[in-house]
Amino acid sequence: MKRYFRELSVVGALGVGLLGLAIFAPAFFQPQPLLSLVTREAPTLVVACGMAFVIICRQIDISVGSMFSVCSVCAGLLAARGWPLLLVLPAAVALGALLGAVNGLLVAGLRLPSIVVTLATMVTLRQGLNLVRQGEFVNLPDRVQWFGLSQTAGQLVLVAGAVALLVALGLAMRHLAAGRFVYAVGTDAEAARLAGIRPQLVTFLVFGFVGALTGLAAMMNLAQSPQVQPLSGLGLELKVIAAVVVGGVAISGGRGNLWGAFAGLLLLACVAPALTHLHIEAYWEKAIQGAIILLAVVADGVRSRKGGTG
Amino acid sequence: MTNSVKRDWKSVLLSHEMLLLYVLVAEWLFFFFAGTTTNRRGVIVGFGTLDRQFDILRHSCEIGLLALALTPVIITAGIDLSVGSLLGLCAILFGKLWHDGGLSLPLAAFLTLGIGTLAGGLNATLITALRLPPLIVTLGTYSLFRGLAEAITHGAITYTDFPASFLFLGQERWLGLPAQAWLFLLVAVAVWLLMHRTTFGRGFRTIGFSPEGARYAGLPVGRRLALVYMLAGFIAAVAAIIYTARLGQAKADAGTGYELFAITAVVLGGTSIFGGSGSVHGTLLGVAAIAVLKNGLACLPVVMRLNAAEEMSGLLTGALLLLALTGSVLPKMLSTFRAHRHAAQPPSPSPSS
Amino acid sequence: MSPAPLLQLRQLVKNYGGVRALRGVDFDLHAGEVHALLGENGAGKSTLIKIVTGAHQPDGGTITLAGETVTALTPATARTLGIACIYQQPALFPDLTVAENLALRLEPAAAGRRVDWPARRTRARELLARLGAAIDPEAEVRSLSMPEQQLVEIACALGSGARIVIMDEPTASLTQKEQHLLFAVVRELRQSSVGVIYISHRLEEIFALADRVTVLRDGQSVGTHPVSAINEAGLIRLMVGREVSQIYPASESVAREVVLSLRGVGCAASGVHAVSFDVRAGEVFGLGGLVGAGRTELARVLFGLTPADAGEITLNGQRVTLPSPQAAVAHGIAYVPEDRRRHGVVLELPIAHNMTMAIHRHLFPHTWLRFGAERGLAREFIRDLAVKCSSPDAPGASLSGGNQQKVSLARWLATKPKLLILDEPTQGVDVGAKSEIHKIVRRLAKDGLAVILISSDLPEVIGLSDRIGVMGGGTLRAILPGQSDPHVVMSAALGTAEKGAA
Repeated sequence: MKRYFRELSVVGALGVGLLGLAIFAPAFFQPQPLLSLVTREAPTLVVACGMAFVIICRQIDISVGSMFSVCSVCAGLLAARGWPLLLVLPAAVALGALLGAVNGLLVAGLRLPSIVVTLATMVTLRQGLNLVRQGEFVNLPDRVQWFGLSQTAGQLVLVAGAVALLVALGLAMRHLAAGRFVYAVGTDAEAARLAGIRPQLVTFLVFGFVGALTGLAAMMNLAQSPQVQPLSGLGLELKVIAAVVVGGVAISGGRGNLWGAFAGLLLLACVAPALTHLHIEAYWEKAIQGAIILLAVVADGVRSRKGGTG
Repeated sequence: MTNSVKRDWKSVLLSHEMLLLYVLVAEWLFFFFAGTTTNRRGVIVGFGTLDRQFDILRHSCEIGLLALALTPVIITAGIDLSVGSLLGLCAILFGKLWHDGGLSLPLAAFLTLGIGTLAGGLNATLITALRLPPLIVTLGTYSLFRGLAEAITHGAITYTDFPASFLFLGQERWLGLPAQAWLFLLVAVAVWLLMHRTTFGRGFRTIGFSPEGARYAGLPVGRRLALVYMLAGFIAAVAAIIYTARLGQAKADAGTGYELFAITAVVLGGTSIFGGSGSVHGTLLGVAAIAVLKNGLACLPVVMRLNAAEEMSGLLTGALLLLALTGSVLPKMLSTFRAHRHAAQPPSPSPSS
Repeated sequence: MSPAPLLQLRQLVKNYGGVRALRGVDFDLHAGEVHALLGENGAGKSTLIKIVTGAHQPDGGTITLAGETVTALTPATARTLGIACIYQQPALFPDLTVAENLALRLEPAAAGRRVDWPARRTRARELLARLGAAIDPEAEVRSLSMPEQQLVEIACALGSGARIVIMDEPTASLTQKEQHLLFAVVRELRQSSVGVIYISHRLEEIFALADRVTVLRDGQSVGTHPVSAINEAGLIRLMVGREVSQIYPASESVAREVVLSLRGVGCAASGVHAVSFDVRAGEVFGLGGLVGAGRTELARVLFGLTPADAGEITLNGQRVTLPSPQAAVAHGIAYVPEDRRRHGVVLELPIAHNMTMAIHRHLFPHTWLRFGAERGLAREFIRDLAVKCSSPDAPGASLSGGNQQKVSLARWLATKPKLLILDEPTQGVDVGAKSEIHKIVRRLAKDGLAVILISSDLPEVIGLSDRIGVMGGGTLRAILPGQSDPHVVMSAALGTAEKGAA
C-alpha cells in the first residue's frame, strides 16, 4: 500500500474529480461521448507508456510528437496506395522504431543529453515533413476507418487494444527482468554496470521502443478519421510527459510505473471535457495542465526533501 | 573561453566562434550571389538588397533576444523552455494593460517587464528553493504561461490598433537601422558585459562547470541561479514588446516554438549544453547564421518555386543543431577513447576522514 | 592452516604517478581465517583492496588465488573467482527495494527472464535472517540507514557464495547491537571456511575477531602476527614505527589572542557533537584522528556548509552563527577542502580565475572584472607559493596535484583570512610539494594566522602542530601538546587512551 502511495493519490484526485463531475455535470457520463473521449486518448496512452519507460530510464524524449506525425503521414500514404492494413501496421511500427533508434544512437552512443538531441530531431522531423508534404492532408480509403468495423466496434477495439497493451507492458515492467533493468539503469547507471547490465544498450533500446510505440499509436489514430492531418502530433510530447510526471514517474529516473502514468493521463484528459461541462472556457485547459504538472513536481520535490536521503 | 585570456593567433582563428563566423560569411556570400536577381523592370530584388537585410535583422530580433536570455541559463548548466510561452503571455498582458486597463503605453511596457521578471522569478523559486530540475519546471511553466495567455484572450482576442508612435519601434528605421535593432543591440551589449566583464558572469560560469566547487568557493549559488532565470523572464518581456510592435498586434500564440530556435542558436554558437563554456558573441553568430539561412533560402529561385523556405530552413536548423552537438562531443570522446587505450589511471584522492 | 592459502600476495608494487602507494607487500589469507589489516590512513590499505578486487592493476608482484597465479584481475573476474568487498559507502540502487537490490546482483543478467518476486523476497529474507538483520526486504534502500545498507551489501556477498570477503571498516557507522550482529556474521563466515580480510581501526575488534593481523606502514607490510601473540601496545608500535625523524619546519611563532572558540558545537546531520576548543592567532592547531572521526565534518560546520545546530561559536570574541559559506567567508574563515579536484579547484577554469574566486567583492569592487589586477594577483601568488604552471591562464586541470593544492590555498590566502582550515593539504602530493606546503603553513602561522590542520598523516600532525586535538566518533577526545609521542596520539585516536596512557 505504502509503495503505491503516489499512484493512489493520483487515483484519489481522479476519483474526487469524477465525483465532482457526477454531482455538478452528470452529462459528462453519457456513454457515447465518454467512449469517444477514451478512444481519442487511446493513442496517447500508448505513447505515454513509452514515455514512462524513457523517463524511468532517466532520459526524456520530446520528439514523440514529430515522430507521431511522420508515422501517421507515412502510414496514411501507404494505406492510400492500397497496402493492406496488416502490412501498414508493422511498417508504421518499424518506421517509429527506426526514428527512435536514431535518438537512441545519439543519446546512448554519443552520450549527448537526451533533451537537446530529441529537441533537434523533433524540429528536423517536423520541418522535414512539412517540407515534403506542404501541410497536405492524406485521404484514407474507407476500409481504414475503424479497421472496417462499425464505429462503436472500432472504438471498443482501439480502447481494448490500448488497455491490453498497457496491462502487458505494466506487467512486463514489474515481472520481466528486462523491465527491472530499465529501473536499475535509471536509478544508478554505474551500479547497474557493476551488476552486469549494459546501461547504454538499455538506453538505446528504450528509445527504439518508445519510437515503435509511437508508430503504433499513429496507426491507432489513423483509424479514427477519414484523413491524416500532418499536424496531428503537435504538442503530443508535452501531453504525455505531463501525464507521466503527474502519474508519479520521477523525472530523476528509477521511480514510478505505468499504472500511475495511466491515472495521470486520465486526470489530464478529463480536464477539457470537464471544463466544458462545468461551463468554464476551454481555453483554461493548457494553463490548468501546466499548473497540475507544477503541482506534481513540487509535491515530489517537497516529499523527497522531507525523505532526507535523496 | 573568455576573451580575457591571451591566446596565440592560431587557436583564436580555429575557435568555435571563428569557425562559425567563416560559415556565416560563406553562407551570406552564397545567398548574396545566388539569391539576388534583377526583376523585369531592372530593379535589383532578393537577398542582396538593403531592405532585405534589414528585414532579416527585424525578424531575428525576438528570437535573438530569447537566445541572449538563454545563454546565461545554459552556461549555468540549466535550461528554460518557458521563454517562448512567456513571450506570448507578456505580449497579451501588455496589450490588455494598454487596451483594457487604459494605461499609457510606457507604463504598460514597464509593468510588462516587471511581470516577465516575476514569471522568471517563479521558475527561479522552484529551481533554487525546492531544487527541482530546471527541465521539468520550465516544461510546466511552458504550458502554464501559454495556457494563461490563451485563457486571458479566450483564444480569440487580438489586441490591435496600437498608435503609430509605438509601431515605430517595430516597423520603422531610426538612425539608419530598424528601430528594434537598437534595442536588441543594447540588450546584447548588456548581456555581453554581464557575462564577460562582471563577476556575475564569472559566477555563472563557475556554477556551470561545478556547482559544488562554486559552493566551496563561497559563491551564493542559489542567488546567482535565481538571477539568471529572472533575467531570462525580463528579456522575454522585452522581446514580447518588440514582437507586438513589429506585427502591430498582440496575440496568444506569439512566440510559439521560439524557444527551440533560441536553444538551437545558443548551442550552435558554441555554448556547451553541459554548462560552463560558451559566449554571448557566439550566440549572436548562431542567431545570425540561422536568420541568414532562413531568409536566404526564401530568396533562392529553386526554393521560391517550391514555396518551402520556412520548412527548409527549419529542417536545416535542426540538422545543424545535431551536427553542432555531435561535433562538440567528438573530440572529448576521442580523447577518452585514447585515454582508455593508454589505461593510465590518475591518482584519485581517496575520500576519507 | 591448510597448505595452499586462498589468497597469496607477493611483493605487490603500485605507483600513482610519482606517489608510491605499495612498495612490496606480502599477504596471505587462508580459508576459515579472519585476517585483520591494520595501518594508518595512507599506509596502502585501500590500494591493496583495489588490487585484490581488480579495480586497479598492480605495477609489480604476483597474486595467487588458491594456488593459481592470476595475471589480469578485473572486477568481473574477481567476482567470478569469489572475491566480494563490502565498502563503507555501499553501491546500491537507492530507488529499488532490498529484495531487488540483492536479486540484481545475484541473478544472472539475462533480460528475458521472468522475475520471481516471491523467490526474491524469500531469498532476501533468508540472507538477512542469516545476518540477524531486521530489515524488511520490501523496503526501499534509500529509506535505510547507512549500517542497514551495509548489511544489505554483506547479504549480497553471502548470497554470491564468496570465498574471500573483504570488509573495509564495516563497523564505522554501526551501533553496538549491530556490531555484535556483524561479529556473529563474521564468525559464521569463518565457520563456513570463507577467508575474511577485516580492515578496522578499532583494536578491540581486531582482538575480538581476528586470527591474524598484518600491519601496513608506508606501503609495506611490517609484520604479520597471530593475534594471540601480540598486544595493543605492540600493534601501535608497529603502526607508528619510525620516530618522527623527518625534518619539519620549527615553530617560531608565539600563540597570541584567541581567534576561534568552540563550546559544545554539534551538528546532528553530520554526526558532530560536543566539540569544544580554542584556536589562537599564530598557532597551528592540528586535528588528528582516523577515517570517519568527524574532522572534515567539523570543518564543514565551521565553513557553514552544514551549519551547526548546537553549541556556541565565538570568533575574535564575538559570538557568531555560520549559516552559509558566504557568512563564514565574511567572518574571515577560509577552508581549503580535502577533495581538491571536486571542491578545491574548478578544473576547467584558468588558474587566475580560481585564485580570485573567493575575493570577487574586494578585487572587483564594482562588479567589473579587472583582468590586469587579477593577473597581477595571480602572478604574485604563483611566485610566492612557487606554483609550477605555464601561465596564470592555464586551466586548473593542467596542474599536478601539489600545484592544484597551492592554487586552492592561494584562493583562500587571497581573502586574508583570520582562520585557515586546511583539510588533508598534503594528501596525494609528491614529497617535494609536501615539504613546500609544510613551510608555507608554518610561515602563515608565524605571520599571525590561526591555522587548523586536519591531517591523517600522523608525523605531519605531530611535527607541524603547536597543539593537537584528537578526534574520534564525531567529537574531540583529547588535546595534546605538539611533538607528542606518536603512540599517545594513536592511542587517543583509537580510543584506548585510558588504558594506553601511563
